[in-house]
Formats: sequence, structure tokens, C-alpha cells
Amino acid sequence: MTIRILSVAAVLAAGVSFAQAQQLAPSPTLDAVKARGNLECGVHLGLPGFSFANDKGEWSGLDVDYCKALAAAVLGDATKVKYTPTSVQQRWPILQSGQVDVLSRNSTITFSRNATLGLNFQGINFYEGQTFVVRKSTGVKEAAGLDGASVCVAAGSTEEKNAADWFRERNLKVTITNFQKNDDAITAYDSGRCDAYTAGVGALAGQRAKLKNPDEHVILTQPISNDPQGPVTRWGDERWQLIVRWVLNGTIAAEALGVASKNVDEMKANSKNTEVRRLLGAEGGFGAMMGLSNDWMYNAIKQVGNYGESYERTVGMGSQLKLERGQNQLWTKGGLLFTPPFQ
Amino acid sequence: MTKALSIINDKRVRDWIYQIAVVVFLVGMTVFFVRNASENMVKAGIASGFDFLWRTSGIEVPFVLTGYTQADNILGLFWVGVANTMLVTVIAIVLATLLGFVVGIARLSTHWLLSTIAGAYIEFVRNIPLLFFVLFWYFGIIAALPAPRQSISLFGVAFLNNRGVTIPLPDGLENFRVAGLVILVSVLAYWAFAIWARRRQERTGLHAPTLRVGLALLLAVPLLAIVWATLATRWDVPALRGFNYRGGFAVIPEFVALLAALVTYTAGFIAEIVRGGIQSVSHGQTEAGSALGLRSGQILRLVTIPQALRVMIPPLTNQYLNVLKNSSFGAAIAYPDVVSLFMGSALNNTGQAIEIIAMTLAVYLVIGLAVSAIMNWYNARIALVTR
Repeated sequence: MTIRILSVAAVLAAGVSFAQAQQLAPSPTLDAVKARGNLECGVHLGLPGFSFANDKGEWSGLDVDYCKALAAAVLGDATKVKYTPTSVQQRWPILQSGQVDVLSRNSTITFSRNATLGLNFQGINFYEGQTFVVRKSTGVKEAAGLDGASVCVAAGSTEEKNAADWFRERNLKVTITNFQKNDDAITAYDSGRCDAYTAGVGALAGQRAKLKNPDEHVILTQPISNDPQGPVTRWGDERWQLIVRWVLNGTIAAEALGVASKNVDEMKANSKNTEVRRLLGAEGGFGAMMGLSNDWMYNAIKQVGNYGESYERTVGMGSQLKLERGQNQLWTKGGLLFTPPFQ
Repeated sequence: MTKALSIINDKRVRDWIYQIAVVVFLVGMTVFFVRNASENMVKAGIASGFDFLWRTSGIEVPFVLTGYTQADNILGLFWVGVANTMLVTVIAIVLATLLGFVVGIARLSTHWLLSTIAGAYIEFVRNIPLLFFVLFWYFGIIAALPAPRQSISLFGVAFLNNRGVTIPLPDGLENFRVAGLVILVSVLAYWAFAIWARRRQERTGLHAPTLRVGLALLLAVPLLAIVWATLATRWDVPALRGFNYRGGFAVIPEFVALLAALVTYTAGFIAEIVRGGIQSVSHGQTEAGSALGLRSGQILRLVTIPQALRVMIPPLTNQYLNVLKNSSFGAAIAYPDVVSLFMGSALNNTGQAIEIIAMTLAVYLVIGLAVSAIMNWYNARIALVTR
């Protein structure tokens, strides 16, 4: 009798654990983050508006905000992030080798990076166009006016190739000088080595502040490319990719649904909208489906805010950069941001 | 049993066993690391192998010696980097040797001011990191030059500004080929004359006017040939159009800054080697030379320098290898050397870190071994012959 009860219990236990195992594939990255108690996030060396450490060592910026939202969703605390600043050259190896859990670093999503680097791009948190900064005294109004000029750029960036292609297609002769870091390139431009410096419009807006006399320089308005950017993960941990992707979707969906850091408590308690209720963990158990607590997005929005709040604070009108929302506006307001529904 | 023991006790056999053990260990380690890396890369979905070398590079390079354009493949980009590394290395070695000799001899001068200045220069250079020199030349000196519109004009044909030096480029090289041939014949003629003169001196004791013939054949004839070729060639003279000078050949400021940094830095070390070499020759040798009736120039040329060189060559080899390795500091100021182009741009575009770093290592290894092979050959040639 005892033996029978025990064996029934054993079968039941096995069945339960089997059901659990079926529901949640193992996620080594998530387990490591939970065990460690913090998220390792690869960020830019220092790009105002995107990832920048102040003199107290506190990181801020649009890319940094994503790290915070992810930490809040996974660990319940947006401050539990260890930032690893990476150069253009270090960014892929540092992610490939497992030194960081996610890369949120102003890096353009391209086909060959996706196909050959063992990396996955989990969505877009910033649509960027490449443009140039030139001295006002040159009178240059558009990129085509740079014929014969010399241009400084960071080596190995998509900008380096974009610029070379763009000028070659138009039969314009431009000398491109490749520096190892964005900062070196803009210093060389400032010292008169180059007639123009090229980077994404968001990066340029932040870097213009580093010039000796920012008012003597102008950013050309017409972009020569479209460079979508977003968080990057390694191949092989599908559940972690799911989390990284849906935290990004969650911050954008929150803005679309009118959920912000100020009203998130009230919305969670009173909202009748089922999508809001699922997003905030009031129903549906969506967090548990990924192995997180059900208030994952509640924590992220409560502590970091939705995408729009983050944008205004870091690169938008509430920041030094004063970038229009433009393409980075919700699709309902004429932008490109669109997320699959929480259902 | 005793026989087996005596084989193990044989020093030669033991040495061989050690050598083989080390080789087996090294090969084993290499195989382990390569297999480990490739298995992990396959698991992580990272492409491996050398196929990426044939992908179009798309990278524009401002200083090209090989005829590369951005439509070429990444292997072409690699060769641009190798050529630029070798160019700056070879020129820096020649100039640093010249400057080092001058400073080293000045250091030994009995003239107080001269030797103090040389001494101060040597101490300054040897106690400051190279990166400082590179950045100092680039941002301190070159960047302070005027903008293209205010260029410093050199005789109206070459122009110096903060974009570098633009020099005229010949439309065709035919005349220079003729001049080169003339110079070659002239040098060969001097060589034959020198052999004849030495044989005659050994036979009859008569001196030939080697110096005057040398001046004529090695200096005057080549100079005339080059002047003639220069005048007979049409030149593409740079002209200011738009942002900068067009036409001619532009020597980029990164090259000038890196070269200047390598030369001024390495010369400090070479000067010490020269001083040590000359001081290692005992004064008795000079006295013996004058006792034989040699003039002071002959003593320097025939007695002191040959003996000093024996001491100087091995440490000079080290300095030359350092120049090669230090040329990679060019990456700090965007000089398109193999580190900057291949380990920077190409690595970033392809992500093939292991392959690219291995190829770059191989480049430095091959050039470095070649430099030391040449220097070792020269060292063996001038080494003391004991009879």
C-alpha cells in the first residue's frame, strides 16, 4: 500500500516536472542573470543621449534605459545592471564570448552581421539615418556638396561603408579617413583634419556638444541611409531572446496603450483594457510563460517608464540633444514604431 | 639494461627526447585550441574559415600603394595594410638609423653644448611612451598647420597643409626608367673600378683616385640623370579646387606624423647603441692605427667602425624589429596600416576575429623574421674572423 502511494506520487511528480519542462525550455542566460543578481549589459563607450556615464559613474541614455527596463523585468530592480562600455571593435566578441547578456549599443542591424556573427537582433529601439556635420563657413548644404572633401569616420562602422558607397555611386571623389573610435574621429574633425564627420543623426547630435565651438558647425538634414538599431543577443538561447524582444515590445506597447510610470499603479488596478491588464500582469500570467514574475512589465514601466518617456528624457525635447520623434514616433502618430499585440 | 640506461644518459639522446616532447606538447596544445575554438564557433553560429577574404571590401582607403579600390575584395584590403606597414617601417628604419648615428656621435663629441643637447634628447626620448610622440606629432604639430586654402606653398608645385603634403606626380615614368638605367650602369662602373683599383693597389701599392671617381659616378651622374628626367617629364601639378588640392600625389598627415614619431623615438635608442658600440672599441686600437701611419679618417673607417659594428648589429636588429611592431601605433591616428585596416575595419565588417588576428600575427612574424634574417646575415659577414 505504502509502496503504491509512493509510486503514484512519483509518477505524479514526474508528470508535473515533465509538464513544466515542456512549458519552459532552459535558458542558461536567464539562470545566470538570476544567480548573479545583476544583468550584464554591453553599452557604448560614451555617446550622449544613448549611453553616457556622468562624473558619478551613473549611466543614462536611450540604450541604457533599455538595459534598466530589462533588469527591472527580469530581476525586479532597474538598478541591478552592470554596464560594460564597448568600442566598435569589441562589441561583437564581448557578446559572442558571453561576457555580457545583451548588447544595447547604438549598433546598426545588417544582414551580414545577422547571418555570420552568431547574433540576433531583437527589434528596433532607434531608427537612425546617417548624415554629416560640417563647418558653417564651408557653405555646404547637402551631402552632394562634399565633392573633393575629406571625411572622418569610425573604422568598421556601417557609416564607413555607407559613405564610401554613397559617394562612389554619385561619382564624387571624397577621401575617407578611418579612426578607431568615434571620439578620435570627431577630435580629428575638430582639429581641421577633415571637412566633415559622418555618423548617425542621433550620435551626431550628441557629439556636436563635444566640439570646441558647437555653433560653428551644422548637421546636414538629409540622411544618406537608414540604420535601424536595437538590442542584440547571442544565438542559442531562444527563451532569453524572447524576453529581450518582448521587454522592448512592452515599453513601446505601453506608450501606445497610454501606460506610463506615473499612472501604472492606477492602470494596473483599474484598467478595463485586457491588453493593458495582460501587459501589467493583472491577468493572463504572461510573465510566467517566459519564466519571469507576472509583474515584469509593471516593474519596467514603474521604474524606467515607457518608450516615449525614455525618448523625451534621453534624446528628445527634454534632453540636450533635442531630437524630434520623427521616424521614432508611434505608427499611429506618423512614425514607424509598431508592436505585435499582447494576447 | 645497462645499454638502455647508457642511451638515456647520453646527453644528445636526452636533448632529442626533450625537443620532441616540447614539439608534441606544442602541436597538441595548438590542435586542442583550434578544435575547441572551431567547435564553439559552430555552436554559437559564427561563420569561420577564410572565405570572407573574397568578399567585396567596400572600404575606402585614403593612402594606397597597391592600386586597390573599394570595389576590390578584403584580401586586397589586407595587402594595402601590409604595404603601408612595410612602407612606414622601411623608411623609418633608414631615417632613424641616420638620425641615431648623428645623435650618437654628437653625444660623444668633445663639444660640451653638442654632447649635452644630444644627451638631453636621448634621455627625453627614452623615458616617454611612444604613444605620446605619435599623438604629439599628429595633434600638436601636423594639426597646427594651416588649412588647405592657406597652404604653405613650396616653390608653387608642392603644398603643405593640415591635410598633408601634396606633391606633383609625373604623367609617365619612361624618362625615369631611362634615368634609372643610367644610374645602374654608373654604379656598376664604379664597382668595377673599385675592384680594379684595389687589385692594382695590392699589386703595385699605387693609390687610385677612388674618391673623385666615386663622386663623379655615384653622385654627379645620377644627379644629372634625375634632373634630366624631371625636366623631360610632364608633371601633374596639384591645384586648389574646392576643398583641397587636386592632382598630384597626397602624402597623408597620418603617414608623416607616424613616420616622424617612429624616427624621433627610435633614434634615441639607436644613438645609445652607437655610443656604446664606439666606446667599446679600446683607445689602444686608435693609437695602434696612428702608429701604423693611418690618417684619422682611415682609422675611423678601417679600424674603429668595423669593430664597433660587431657590437652594434645585434641590438640594432632589436630596434628595427621594434620599429616594425611600433608601426601599429598608427592605428591610434588613423594611419591605414595592417592593424588599422585589417584588424580594425575588416574585422568589424566581417566579425572573423580569429582568422583576422591570426593573419595579422603572421604578417608581423614574417616581416620580423625577414628583418632579423637580413641583419643576422650581415652580422655573420662582419663578425670577427678568428684564425
